[in-house]
Order: sequence, then C-alpha cells, then structure tokens
Amino acid sequence: MTFSHFDCLIVERDGPVGWLINNRPDRLNAMSAHMRDEFAIAWKELDADPDVRVIVHTGAGRAFQTGVDVTEIASDGVGMERYRESMVDFDLHFTAWHQEVWKPVITAVNGICAGGGFHWVADADIVIAASDAQFFDPHVSVGQVVSVEAIGLLRKMPVEAVMRMAFVGRYERLSAQRAYELGMISQIVDPPEELRAEAQALAEKIAKNSPAAMRATKRALWGALEVGLTDACRAGAAELVSMWGHPDQVEGPLAFAERREPMWDTKTTGDAT
Amino acid sequence: MSRYETLVVERRGPVGWLEFNRPAKGNAMNARMLAELERAWVELDDDPEVRVIVNTGNGSAFQTGLDVVELSRDPEALREQSRRTKRAELRISAWHNSVWKPVIAAVNGVCAGGGLHFVADADIVIASSNATFLDPHVSIGQVTAYEAIALVRKSPMEAIMRMALTGRHERLSATRAYELGILSQVVEPPDHLRAEAQALAENIAKNSPSAMRATKRALWGALELGLTDACRAGAAELVALWGHPDQTEGPLAFVERREPDWEPLLPAARKADS
Repeated sequence: MTFSHFDCLIVERDGPVGWLINNRPDRLNAMSAHMRDEFAIAWKELDADPDVRVIVHTGAGRAFQTGVDVTEIASDGVGMERYRESMVDFDLHFTAWHQEVWKPVITAVNGICAGGGFHWVADADIVIAASDAQFFDPHVSVGQVVSVEAIGLLRKMPVEAVMRMAFVGRYERLSAQRAYELGMISQIVDPPEELRAEAQALAEKIAKNSPAAMRATKRALWGALEVGLTDACRAGAAELVSMWGHPDQVEGPLAFAERREPMWDTKTTGDAT
Repeated sequence: MSRYETLVVERRGPVGWLEFNRPAKGNAMNARMLAELERAWVELDDDPEVRVIVNTGNGSAFQTGLDVVELSRDPEALREQSRRTKRAELRISAWHNSVWKPVIAAVNGVCAGGGLHFVADADIVIASSNATFLDPHVSIGQVTAYEAIALVRKSPMEAIMRMALTGRHERLSATRAYELGILSQVVEPPDHLRAEAQALAENIAKNSPSAMRATKRALWGALELGLTDACRAGAAELVALWGHPDQTEGPLAFVERREPDWEPLLPAARKADS
C-alpha cells in the first residue's frame, strides 16, 4: 500500500513498522490547521495498511511537538475560533485515540514536548524518549486552559506531577529522567541519536505478537479508562472471550513448540469493529 | 485577614499562607480548627490579592488528623463532625471548600491519618526531607476512607493500600513519596521548605488566574468521570475561556518581554452550604 503525499508529516513503512513523523522542524513541529487535517488522514492510512503492525510517532528536528501553531493563530484573523465547533463537540481527529487506531502506537519523544504536544504522549500506548527530551505545559502562562491532554495523562500516571506541570506553566521543565521515574515513559534512549533505531527495535518486538490479540487487548485496556473497575473487567472479559477460537490461539502455542515465528492470521484482523 | 486562634493565615506578595498552628498538639484538628479551616479557605479564595495558596504546619508536625481527645470533651462539636463525615460534607480542605486557586501543600514534618486530606486535596505537594507519612486509622479501630480514596486516584495504589493497612507500624519517607509521584519536590535542608514553597508559588502566580481556575476545574473534574466524558467536560472548560482578555494579553506580554497584566478573577460559584 502506498501512502498519500503529506506536506507537514512524513508517513512511511519500515518492515512491519509504520512511521508517522511530525515534519515542520522550523516551527518546532507546531500544529497548523493543515497539519491537523493531515494527521486525521495519516492515522487512518497507517491503521488500514495490513503490512503495518505497529506505529511509531516521532518528530523531525529538535522538537517533538509544541502544540497548536501560535503564529498561525495570531496572524490569520481566525484564531482559535476555527477549532471551536470541533472542541465543543469534542470531535477531534489528530491522535491515534481520536482516530480509533487499535494497532499499538509508540510515541518516541525526540526533543521538546510542550503544551498540545502532550496529546500524543497521553494517547500513545507506549512512550519512550531521547535523554535530552523535555516536557512542559505553557498554556496558563499565555492565558490558555490546560485540559484534554492533561486529562488523558492523569489517568495514566501520578496526578500530582501533571497538576504541577499544568500550574507552573513555562517556568519549569520536566526531564526525561523524571518522566521515566514517574512512569510517564518506559525508556530513555542515550545517546539521543539512537532514538529512532531503539523505537524501530521495540516496534519490531511488538510486531512479533498476534495482531488480533493486541487489538482486543488495546480495546480492553483503553476501555478500562472509561468506567469503574467491575464494569471495566466485565467489558475486558468480553474482549478476551471474543478471541477464543481465533486461529492465532492455535498457531501461537504451535509455533512456540516448533521453535519458529508464528504465522499470524491477518485476514480476520481488519473486519472487527 | 481576620483573626484565627488555631491557624496562621496571611499573605506574602501574591501568596496566601494557611498554617496549622497547634504545634504542641501535632497540629491536630480540634473543634475550633475545624471551624477556622472552612473560614480560612474561603477568605483566601475570596482575596483578590491572593493568587496561589500554600498550606503548611508550624512545629515538628504538618498535620495529624482529628484531636480525638479534645473532641471527646466537646460532644456537640463531635456530633457535628460525625454528621458531616457521614454525609460527605467535610469542609476542612481546599477541595471541600471549592477553592479553585492553585494550592500547594508544603509538608514540614509528620503527616498522619486525617492529615492526609491536605495532601490528597492539594494540587501540588512538596515536603521537607524529614517529612513522614502514615495512616494510623486501623491501628485504633478506625476506617481509612476519604483521604486514601483521593490518594488512590492520584498515585500508585499499592503504596496507599500498604499505608492504610500497616497503620502506625510503618512510615513512608519523603524520598519514597517523591519516587512514587505523591509529591514533586523534596526540600533539603528542611528549614528551606517555606522559602522553596514561596518561590514555587510566586512562579505559579505569574500565570493567568482565569486560565488556572478553568484548568483546575477541568483536571479535578476528570477524576469524577470516564476518560471520554472527562475530555468532553474538559473541552467545555477550555472553550469557555476563548475570547477572554488574558488570551490576548499572554502572547502580547511574551512578545514584548514583560510580565502579563492578567484580568482579576471574577467571583466563582462555591458549593451551596448544607
């Protein structure tokens, strides 16, 4: 499958790994309206490509992502108003979670991650970072509210750290080291230049696992952030049982016994809702 | 500020200080302190000069929960507190009193039992290196509930369960609380705690009060709902501030390399009194 042409992103495949690279390095990968539209398409194309088993999201240049393109907001007379309707309806399309991508998504933070950049940390399944990555949320320092991205984060990590970032604004930065200690990320890559190679290696490990089982797993675990414990377990049990009898559940143990890589079923992975 | 007997309430620059002040009793809450806490949070929240609130204790303890000995000699006060506990109508913490200004808990020593309310209900928690945390409720036949329930939402759960179940027989150190993300800063030496808290609060006070209030509502509100519903409610808080003067002033001040001149906070709705 070939991907569309993108102006603000690089979308490509390396083996079983789909890469989504923020590519406005001279703007610290800030999200213009055009880039926002391209995200919606890129996630859907990567999710639809049967050769892509795992997706890695990173940035070109010294920043990972720095939120909405404030220069565009300030200079075109439309401002944030262009986003009012989609925000009021909470009808967003720029992260994997928004686009209901059920393949595993790894965010590889290559540098500065600021403000709206946290959307892709919050909405990824796995987050790794270069040792020189830095995290901060300057929203309240320019009169903006911290909301959706921090709400996602505080489901997934100690809340106090998220609140401190939200209120300190641009006056403090969280290091990759502290983000690792807090469990916001699971791996620090040093030297930083090795980030993409490490992300590819991690993604290739994950790509060895059953796509169908990973999809049901992802739905069960993200679904658990929506409801109370017992209801989450109930919904999770339904995902679990839905895989019983799937060919991968025969192939997996067989391949293990025969000491070979499993041949996962890919026909039945694209049709579930 | 009005007069308080069991608290010190004052303002230093943009920072309102609420200090527990019964050092001889480990800052335990007697009937008067319970009443004064409610008044103090509201007074600090209503003072337009106060942008950020720091909560700490005088003496060797931060806060050690209800003064059960003294409350047992005051049946009326005890009854009132029991009634509020039963109905979940406590008014001792910032969260109970709908304070939407940022609150920093600066834990200066032992924080035990009901003292954990003030850790659970703060936005930001820092501690001196000699601070310790324990929850002796079950060691005296009492149930741990509110404080731990909020902490379980905000921190790794195993640590909170261990504290609840080991009671007075173990203490959590400031270092371990930092590792767990229960707090974000350990101050060494301990006597620098107040200076560090003031410095942190002054940084926060540079940010838009209106944006911080909406942020606080969005993030605390998120602890009430499932992820998608929380994002939806959060998006409403976000959009509600679009067009606010701070959103022009913020970027402008940044470009002009000066401190922003934020709009004063409009009065916020507070929970209706019971």
